[in-house]
Order: sequence, then C-alpha cells, then structure tokens
Amino acid sequence: MSRETWQEQIRRGTLDLAILLSVSSGPRYGLAIIQHLEEFTDLVVAEGTIYPILGRLTKEGLLESEWVEDEAPHPRKYYALTRLGTKRLGEMTTAWRDFVKKIDRLMTASERPR
Amino acid sequence: MTLTAVGESRVNGYLFVLQRSLKTFLPEDSVRDAVREIESHLRDRIAAADGSPNEREAVERILAELGPPLRVAQAYSAERTIDEAITTGRLVPMARALWHLAVSTVAGFGAALAVVIGTMTSLAAIAVAVAKPFFPNNVGFLMHDGDVVPHTFGGQFPVPAGEHVVGGYWVIPFALTGGLVGLVLTYRGARRFLTWWRERRLS
Repeated sequence: MSRETWQEQIRRGTLDLAILLSVSSGPRYGLAIIQHLEEFTDLVVAEGTIYPILGRLTKEGLLESEWVEDEAPHPRKYYALTRLGTKRLGEMTTAWRDFVKKIDRLMTASERPR
Repeated sequence: MTLTAVGESRVNGYLFVLQRSLKTFLPEDSVRDAVREIESHLRDRIAAADGSPNEREAVERILAELGPPLRVAQAYSAERTIDEAITTGRLVPMARALWHLAVSTVAGFGAALAVVIGTMTSLAAIAVAVAKPFFPNNVGFLMHDGDVVPHTFGGQFPVPAGEHVVGGYWVIPFALTGGLVGLVLTYRGARRFLTWWRERRLS
C-alpha cells in the first residue's frame, strides 16, 4: 500500500469523528463545519464531499438539520448533534483515544533497543 | 463580492450540472435539498471573496475548492445510494445503487448484467414450477424421442413433433428450489459486489 493510500484511509476513517466533533459545541452550518475542520486539520480535500457525509450522518440519526432563513441573505442549513449522536461521539472518542494510546505504546516499544 | 451576470451564469451552470447528475440516482426532494445547500455554500463563499484579481478567477477558485460538480455528485452517490443499499439490504436501494454503477462504471455494468441474468433465470425457473400444474404436457424437461438427455428445461406450446416432456411433477420442487436458490445467490452476489465497491472506494 502506498503512503498516499494509507493516509487517505486514515483521513476517510476519521472524517465522521471530526465532523461530529465540529458540531459538539453547538449547531454549525456546512461551510462553518468545513472552516472549523480546515482550521484544525487537513481532512477536507474537496469541500463538496463533506455535504454528502453530513447527509449520511443525518440519515443515520447522529445529526439533525434545520434550514435557517433569516440569518444571511440566503438560507443556511444548520447541523446539530442528536442524543444518539452525542452517545456515538462519546464512544468514538473513547475508542480513538484508546487506539492512539495503543499504537503509541507499540511505537515506543519498537524504538526501544533490543 | 457581488457577482455580475457572467459570474451568476457560471454559478448557475455549476448548479445545473450538479442537479442533472444528482437526479440520476436521488429522489427529487433530496436533489432539491442538496442543490440548495451547495448554493448556500457558494453564496457564502462569494460574499466573503474580494473578487481579486478578477471576478472570473475568484469564482473559478471557489468552484475548484468545492470540487467539480460530477465529483460532488459522485460523493453523494457513494455516500447515499451504496451505503443505503448495503445498510438496509432492501431491493429498491440495491437496484438504484446497481443502476447508478452500471451507467457510470464498467465493473458496475458487468455486475448489473450478471444480476439481471441471475434474476431472470431464477424467475423463469419459478415460472416453470407455477406453470407445470396447468400445462403438465408442455412444461418440464424436453427430450427428443429416443434421446436419454433432455435438451431444454422450460415450456413448449405446442410440443414439437418428435419431442416429449419428461420429469413429471418432480419438476415443480426442482424448479422452485432452483429458482429460489438462484434468487438468494443473486441477491447475495449483488450485496457482496456493492460491499466490495464501497471498500474499494475507501481504499
């Protein structure tokens, strides 16, 4: 597997978690989520590909969406975590931290001289 | 930045292509919602842009960051159609996902063709089982007089001279079992293909 493919797999695998984290502090509309992700990560390759993921997470019941008409000259669609989404985010965060800790431990062990 | 008529036309052209692409696999209300959301994104980006060095380049930069409309549509397709088909396992979403892959990829076309052949063959076998009680002398294994191996499984109306039907009513459980097993295998094959496709997309 090439380095690019491996990184792409990590990127795609963590995008759901990153999006849920982006709305964990409060509702955000699509572009605000993208800007938040761009500020902290390099997970967004093409902005347009984030919207279908938001749609899927909404369909899975992890997010809820609402059109807000009067905030800007054009309507914006806001996303917020549902109760199920909050629960899933907690599970994903725990799993991710556990995963990183174990890989880190493995890397430390591999660096140790035999 | 406020767009001129030329800039508006470019943005509307992008949204038109996106809408046309989404319409091939998404229901009308989902298409409307998706296009409205992408337009909202573009309007926000355009409002925040300073239009330098000129409007045309600024609009092209915004559209490039969003991604080509076909790529955005493909992302919707991958996320919604295939995932829905795999997650629910329902026939309509699976047929929709297969149709979308069939018209957009060679592998998808091959898989859809195999699914159509598998489904039609299985349904034909079930039709034979259903028809046998009504047309016992026309439906079953057909053999040439004097042969020991049947040459056709199905029905002939009328049975040609020099041929006869064999197998009796044993044809019914045979065809029914074959048809149902064929349908199950076709369904499982289609689902396995879609799962493979999704994993391939992720890798």
